[in-house]
Amino acid sequence: MTMTDDDTELDRLFAQARQERSQLPDDLAVRMMTDAESVRLGRLAPQTEAKRRSWWHLFDNVGGWQGMGGLVAASAAGVWIGFSAPSFLPDPANYLISQETAYLVADLGLDTAYLEDAE
Amino acid sequence: MEDLTSSPHEVRGDQFAATELSDDMLLRQFADGDAGAARLLTDRLGPRSFSVALRMLSNQAEAEDVAQEAMMRLWQMAPDWVPGQAKVSTWLYRVTLNLCVDLRRKKTHAALNEVAEPEDGSASVVEKMQDEARKDALQTALSQLPERQREAVVLRHIEELSNPEIAGIMDISVEAVESLTARGKRSLAAILAGRRDELGYDND
Repeated sequence: MTMTDDDTELDRLFAQARQERSQLPDDLAVRMMTDAESVRLGRLAPQTEAKRRSWWHLFDNVGGWQGMGGLVAASAAGVWIGFSAPSFLPDPANYLISQETAYLVADLGLDTAYLEDAE
Repeated sequence: MEDLTSSPHEVRGDQFAATELSDDMLLRQFADGDAGAARLLTDRLGPRSFSVALRMLSNQAEAEDVAQEAMMRLWQMAPDWVPGQAKVSTWLYRVTLNLCVDLRRKKTHAALNEVAEPEDGSASVVEKMQDEARKDALQTALSQLPERQREAVVLRHIEELSNPEIAGIMDISVEAVESLTARGKRSLAAILAGRRDELGYDND
């Protein structure tokens, strides 16, 4: 068969394919329009509802209930570390207390240096 | 001059007026809450998406899913559509082809992970393939083309789009489209000529 015959055969097949292309299965058309309706109705939801949901949007952004649980746990851990610092870290609470105590002693004139001299 | 901004109810009641509305306008009407516009867009664009998906995937169920997903994305992007920038159909064709490529990649990946099944009843499988091929020789030949050639050939010779529009859909130059369609047609002709003997027409 020559190339021209092949082209003619191919053109015939293309023409046949073009005739068949405009058929959309009925159930598919229904599915498409059902999707369109759900999108349309979702878009028509009242704005107040959208505003009310903005807090939930924020809530979702931190990961919903799981994220919020993690956030609470992390906050609690921070508070605990603040009160009870690990041994390898300097404890700022003790530092502050010792400084204040030293000033307090000086202010009250409770210098014990004379006792050392007496000895 | 005809009023193209007529209400959706008037449009539904007048098929002539409805056919005059551009895809742009229908999409705007849908974004504004008109359910009737969705029906017209489905009738107009749904078959195009489905037809291309079917030619690209050779599978009815998969093509239906792809076309439904492509139209779903159309509904969702309707409020953001800027009229006049591009044709809605061009956008839809592009989304459809991208979904087809994604699906084929997923299938290829899944197939690579599957354990090969032992062949069973190979003779009947060949006969079945021959029957299918006779039913749609073009589809069988198309499925053997490289993906980009197949896309270009389907859009040019089945969807009857212009080369510039195909270039826009495939994001390539018009020259590249011409090259792909020419090579695709040559390959198809060769495949069809070569398969006549393989299909065993003489045994009928």
